[in-house]
Amino acid sequence: MSAVKHSQAMHFHARAGEKVRNAVLQRALQKAKPLFVGKRAKGMVSLAEDGLDFQLLRSTAKNIRNRTLADLDVWLDIFEERATATGAEVLWARDGAEVSKLVVDIARRHGVSKAVKSKSMLSEEAQLNEALAAAGVRPVETDLGEYIVQLAGEAPSHIIAPAVHKTINEIEALFAKEHDRPLQTRTSADIPAMAQEARAVLRQHFLSAEMGISGANFLIAETGSAALVTNEGNGRMVTTLPKLHVVITGIEKIVPTLEDFATLMRLLPRSATGQSISNYVSLLTGTKRDGDHDGPEKTIFILVDNGRANLLGSDYQDMLRCIRCGACMNHCPVYFSLGGHAYGWVYPGPMGSVLTPLFTGIENALDLPHASTGCNQCGAVCPVEIPLPTLMHRLREEQNERGLRPWSERLALKAWAWMAGKPLLYRWFARRAARYLNWLADGSGRIRIFGLAPEWTAGRDLPVSSGRTFHELYSARKKT
Amino acid sequence: MSAKDEILGRVRRGVGKDDFAGRRAAAVASLATMERGPQPTMNADLAARFRAKAEYLSSTVAGVASLAEAPAAVAAYLAANHLAAEAVATADVGGLDWVGCGLKVEARSAVDADKTGISGCFSAIAETGTLMLLSGPQTPATVSLLPETHIALVDISRIVPTMEDAFALLRAEHGSLPRAVNFISGPSRTGDIEQTIVLGAHGPCRVHLILIGSDSSP
Repeated sequence: MSAVKHSQAMHFHARAGEKVRNAVLQRALQKAKPLFVGKRAKGMVSLAEDGLDFQLLRSTAKNIRNRTLADLDVWLDIFEERATATGAEVLWARDGAEVSKLVVDIARRHGVSKAVKSKSMLSEEAQLNEALAAAGVRPVETDLGEYIVQLAGEAPSHIIAPAVHKTINEIEALFAKEHDRPLQTRTSADIPAMAQEARAVLRQHFLSAEMGISGANFLIAETGSAALVTNEGNGRMVTTLPKLHVVITGIEKIVPTLEDFATLMRLLPRSATGQSISNYVSLLTGTKRDGDHDGPEKTIFILVDNGRANLLGSDYQDMLRCIRCGACMNHCPVYFSLGGHAYGWVYPGPMGSVLTPLFTGIENALDLPHASTGCNQCGAVCPVEIPLPTLMHRLREEQNERGLRPWSERLALKAWAWMAGKPLLYRWFARRAARYLNWLADGSGRIRIFGLAPEWTAGRDLPVSSGRTFHELYSARKKT
Repeated sequence: MSAKDEILGRVRRGVGKDDFAGRRAAAVASLATMERGPQPTMNADLAARFRAKAEYLSSTVAGVASLAEAPAAVAAYLAANHLAAEAVATADVGGLDWVGCGLKVEARSAVDADKTGISGCFSAIAETGTLMLLSGPQTPATVSLLPETHIALVDISRIVPTMEDAFALLRAEHGSLPRAVNFISGPSRTGDIEQTIVLGAHGPCRVHLILIGSDSSP
């Protein structure tokens, strides 16, 4: 699997340490977190104002996604039939390498020298930009955040805010270099001017590119359409101006009807940015029609598996409901301590901690299912009720079952399991441990430096009990 | 084995059910129910709701009593914002008396140099303050996309409560979908530099709505 070589997920531990010490990154993250959380909270208020209950809405959304997954073979067949009937072509790709091969072939066949791209995380899975560049096709990312990370030669660090890790000064340096102008001193007041500058440069790319590449937020089986949700309008440009439009999307993105789509649209923007609707929501069906003055002459869908089909019918099927809103990472204490790059592959945060091991191999991302405090903020905000912590626990279990954990950890777990099955021994040991910890804490209730795991107390104290076990306190209380 | 057969084979194994034909027929039948999810409760005055939501999304809104008054309202808006008295328009509104209001308006698809684009709209959604535009020979999508200023004429009789209602209208009047259905909610925006919202990313920087059939002045 090509994704394995591309993934840096095995270096999570080392990268996490590096990210925690990066003061510039930490500033960017600390600035962003309350904004993300606050925006979603406002979005939830707007739901309530219209008499809509989040829990009812998300269980409806969950059912829509489950209904599709339960008969995905059928829905794919219906989608393909209807998309083809509108004049689009439907291709299939087993993995990322096949996506790249198909897109490069299409570009060659149509004499494409430049492709404008609207945000597609799947194209990151496929490392499509590298493949296009190697084939002599210039890929230009047009979402402002994606454009910034492309200029920096980096990967997105967030699925909906790709450049959240970049400060204004870093962006200014990239723009000055790429746009061939002197460096200026920038403050927040200059952000509109910087956006204008990018608009002017990218406008010329939109007008000159021969091919547009986009993802799809959803595929609608009823009409054979791709649904595209953006705020900047780049999605509309990419799918309106070039003569050729390629849609790259996962096989799980199908929803049955326009009504189902409308329900999901009450949740997706609110969960992502708090907006009751994104600025542009487009349903793209087929190609330019007779008499139309604009629109692509050829539309090609590439439906991608890359590990998705194997999740159907598995313990992890719930993950296929994901609508890529980013709410889980926006509310994750681990994500906001490290940023997205620490996760080492395409998807960061809780959804990435589940998807990366599933798509690239459990043995290739051992730390990620442990990159969680177990707080379930992610599960609480997920608009399609994916039990993210449960899925991470299942991955941890599977690591253990397959002997992928260190021998010391496995031995400790075995010893604990053995002892927990013997109540008398367990109580005896718990009493000893409670006394010992209390002695270490010198009766203060907290240990400042814990000798057995000093790393753990490097930035905090270890709280300990008063020296009495739960059983002891319970018995004492029963007597009084 | 082709990629399609291999992927569908894996999907079928994961789904773990037989009777493909029976399940497919049931799925196709389920499409016809057009079942809706939870619907919002809203005040009955759709035009007022639409207007308030559109303004919240940074569009500006004016009202005129009839379509014939729209050119004068457009001219007034352009003058007030120091914008040139010329525009590209979609053909469905291109035939109004623009010249009579001192405007040079061409009905065609838009090019990069166009500063203002004038369109009608198929429908409008009160829930979110959203325009629904359909692409077509009379209504090229570029007019609402390339110019910095987009002015849309919205007949208030076309305002419906929700996106589902707009889809129902589309099915009733057109049957199938055009190449592009574009839902537009205010000027284009980006928050990609330090999470600061800026209006005018790649699409229009200004969206001005003229509500037809409402005489409430701006």
